[in-house]
Amino acid sequence: MNPVITAFDKGIEKSGIEPSRVCVASDIPFEPEVVNYLGIDFFHTTRGRSIAFGTGLKLGNPALKVVPFVGDLMTIGGNHFVHAGRRNMGLLVICVNNFVYRKIGGQPTPSVSITFSPYSTFEEPFNIPHLANSCGAAYTARWTALHTDELTNSIAEALGKQGFSVIEILSPGPNYYKGIKEIESNVINFYYENSVIKNGEDPRNVGINPEEKIVVGKFTDKKRPTFIDSYNTQLTKVLGDKFIPYGGKSG
Amino acid sequence: MSPIINGFPRLRGLKMKADPRDVNTGVYYIDGDVAAGQGALAAGCKFIGGYPITPSTEAAEAFARVAPLAGAMFIQMEDELASIASVVGASWAGVKSMTITSGPGYSLMMETIGFGAMLETPFVLLNIQRGGPSTGVPTRTGQADMMQSRWGSHGDYEIIAISPDSPQEMFDYTIKAFNLAERYRCPVMIMSDECVGHMTERVVIPPPDEIEVEPRRFYDGQINEYLPFKPDENLVPRMVKAGDGYKLYITGLIHDERGYPVKNEEYKSIYTKRLVDKIRLNKDKIIEIKEEETDDAEIVVVSYGISSRVAVRGIEKAREKGIKVGSLRLVTVWPFPDKKIAELSKTVKAFVIPEINYGQIAFEVERCSYGEANIVLIPHGGAGVHTPDDIFHAIEYAAKEKKRIEGIIEYKTKLEKLIFEEGFKLYE
Amino acid sequence: MGPLKTIESKEVHPMDNLLRMDRIPHIWCPGCGIGLAVNAFATALEKAKIDLDNVCIVSGIGCTGRVAGYVKLDSFHTTHGRAIAFATGIKLGNPKLKVVVFSGDGDLISIGGNHFIHAARRNIDMLVICVNNFIYAMTGGQVAPTTPLTAYATTSPYGCVEPPFNIPYIADSSGAVYVARWTALHIRRLTNSITEALNKSGFSVVEVISPCAVYYSRINRLGDGLDMMKFYHDNSEIRHWEDTKNLDIGFQTKIIVGKFVDRQRPTYNESYNKWLSEIKGTKDEG
Repeated sequence: MNPVITAFDKGIEKSGIEPSRVCVASDIPFEPEVVNYLGIDFFHTTRGRSIAFGTGLKLGNPALKVVPFVGDLMTIGGNHFVHAGRRNMGLLVICVNNFVYRKIGGQPTPSVSITFSPYSTFEEPFNIPHLANSCGAAYTARWTALHTDELTNSIAEALGKQGFSVIEILSPGPNYYKGIKEIESNVINFYYENSVIKNGEDPRNVGINPEEKIVVGKFTDKKRPTFIDSYNTQLTKVLGDKFIPYGGKSG
Repeated sequence: MSPIINGFPRLRGLKMKADPRDVNTGVYYIDGDVAAGQGALAAGCKFIGGYPITPSTEAAEAFARVAPLAGAMFIQMEDELASIASVVGASWAGVKSMTITSGPGYSLMMETIGFGAMLETPFVLLNIQRGGPSTGVPTRTGQADMMQSRWGSHGDYEIIAISPDSPQEMFDYTIKAFNLAERYRCPVMIMSDECVGHMTERVVIPPPDEIEVEPRRFYDGQINEYLPFKPDENLVPRMVKAGDGYKLYITGLIHDERGYPVKNEEYKSIYTKRLVDKIRLNKDKIIEIKEEETDDAEIVVVSYGISSRVAVRGIEKAREKGIKVGSLRLVTVWPFPDKKIAELSKTVKAFVIPEINYGQIAFEVERCSYGEANIVLIPHGGAGVHTPDDIFHAIEYAAKEKKRIEGIIEYKTKLEKLIFEEGFKLYE
Repeated sequence: MGPLKTIESKEVHPMDNLLRMDRIPHIWCPGCGIGLAVNAFATALEKAKIDLDNVCIVSGIGCTGRVAGYVKLDSFHTTHGRAIAFATGIKLGNPKLKVVVFSGDGDLISIGGNHFIHAARRNIDMLVICVNNFIYAMTGGQVAPTTPLTAYATTSPYGCVEPPFNIPYIADSSGAVYVARWTALHIRRLTNSITEALNKSGFSVVEVISPCAVYYSRINRLGDGLDMMKFYHDNSEIRHWEDTKNLDIGFQTKIIVGKFVDRQRPTYNESYNKWLSEIKGTKDEG
């Protein structure tokens, strides 16, 4: 079983949340055996719309723990990401970032054929924790897929949190949920060895730069009213008793 | 009869009354959009994800005002793509959901409408049609999205489309739309238009026990025996919602009864055929038309939406002149009443179809009449409606025309004659 | 409705060559600030001394989206939210053109949010003038992603429950090279900002806080356009180079204006050309 799914599984266990309450919405199909093993509900959505779909799931039943797993997050789904962050919608976004640099630190990386990554050429990639934080996310972290313990802890923590949490996982390949091939295994080891843990670092400074080591860690952990909390507070203030507060247990 | 069919208990007259919290009983003077918002609430809709677009915003605003008092949620999403995705998500979380849009937004939503149809998600989409294409004329009417509602998304699927013609119908048929969506687990489009949406008329909202709402057909058997896409006797599988321990696997890829993706030819045919048959084989139970004096008619006017309101006066005038004209009003436009048109085409001389477009439902009428009657289309470019005289003169022409003419005969409205024959100066 | 008549005026204003005079009077309401933004833009075009034949203006849908129809340049009134995507195409199709995107907060940040952050990340050479009136005015006063918390709008009839976006912060964190904010009152400083941004290459954002007399200020009982301008006068503070994190706008709170970001980064075209010459010069690696 590959590291990301293992960490996710252990994270759910550690957080103490019932797996049946967890819903994953993703544009990358998980294997049915994986879904059965994890004990969750899985929705394979259209490309880029996992966060919007997840918003619907969360608002339809606020007791659910909705986890959009996104590979193609920041291209087609960028708008949904920044607005969900602004609203502090109760979602845990796990962004599996699979970009591969051609040259890191002057050394050639293992040659992996790049099919469709905008980040491998001359464009600068997004600094996802910084963007998430500036949109208002309550929790931001980044790990490589091999930081299993730290990743498990992050997932457990984020699952227990209300609000919009973003965990970026550096890991190659969207076919990733099946197993790791040899080439991908080289790349993943490369990321792990070239990373440095800096918990609490200002997300502004964690941009991925070919000249430097990759910064990983838990960067921000704030408390902000979630969308449902904000909705209930404002409407109770204006409508008083006539208002029926939305959704029992939010989170 | 056996109480168990295909492993599921037979559904026995499953209806219930509306929740009193959701119904604002009374007599109102409101417009079509607001009536639709009230109708959605009365039907038990608990989630609307919308985005403002003229001329549909009043429906969203009306729902936003009443939702907090009934435990429902309105959220204005960042764009139409997010709106429809959140509506499909909310449906899978177990609540009745709806979105409200118009032409440009409808085009944006098409991918996810197909996604919803593939997942057999019940939801309602209110399209207040406006002048198109593209930005078009946002504040004026049109009826040019009718074919798009049926064929808009890629692939084979079927939907139900309803065309109300008054604010009272906007209220009543929104409730019916939700009921149909639950019964057939498919997207239901309410293809209204700006005229009906912005028309203010008397709307009576009855007491809750006079409103019939169909609850969602949840599965109620053993968890480990549940197959998400195993069809019932009417070809519709029972639904569940996320968070109940079913370990759902829901994907837009073609899937088998467990929901797992499959690629082979056999499954593709089985699944797609069922998606399509679900509506096609139940057509007679879904189609609703209003016929008047078609038994001995020589001309029948086929209309829907605002055009059918205009046609009433045109038909009256024609009858006063002695022409035997009947009226066939399509309340459900899709699935199309092909049998009725085929039956009528044998006895009538011609069908007259007023539409605010350059021919959409007219093509369906032509197809279903199999060459047995003349097809007279009264097209209209939009940003306005026909006049009763246009329809009256077209009926007169259709009655006089003795030859059997192939194809669609376009009968110009007075406005078109003015523009195209007499010349119309746009600006000096 | 009869044929449209043009208004013949006998006197010619010195800036008439920048406006489509045959479409004046415009559709904006009394008390609206968009006209002021257009005024500043027109003056800036003259001050910047650019060849007007090489300037394109692209707008989206909304009240501000109508600007393209009144300015006498190559104008594009595109679909909702896609102005920046459209402008990217124009710029990459003919890099010699100077492209200006002139649109509203709903069009650029709500439905157009994705295009906004990606164009900033890529540093596409264009100037974005975002007129922010905190509401969706053209469609009748619905809530916008910039509507302050607790403010009223037709789709938040009990007050807005979502915290708003801070446009300079988003632009800055996505990588814009020039970010400034002024209100419609600060007309001369706005003109200077636009002039500067027109001469800068890279993704530049100038936000213009504008009154909306018919929806935002009426629904929230803030008076008319002039009352809003008085509010800006009394409550705006100029703080150049302020950290964009601190520029949030609450309901009737202080508005911080100024020039916040002015830096250099290779534009998309420059990076592309450099990359192209690199791969042409070296052997293909994989």
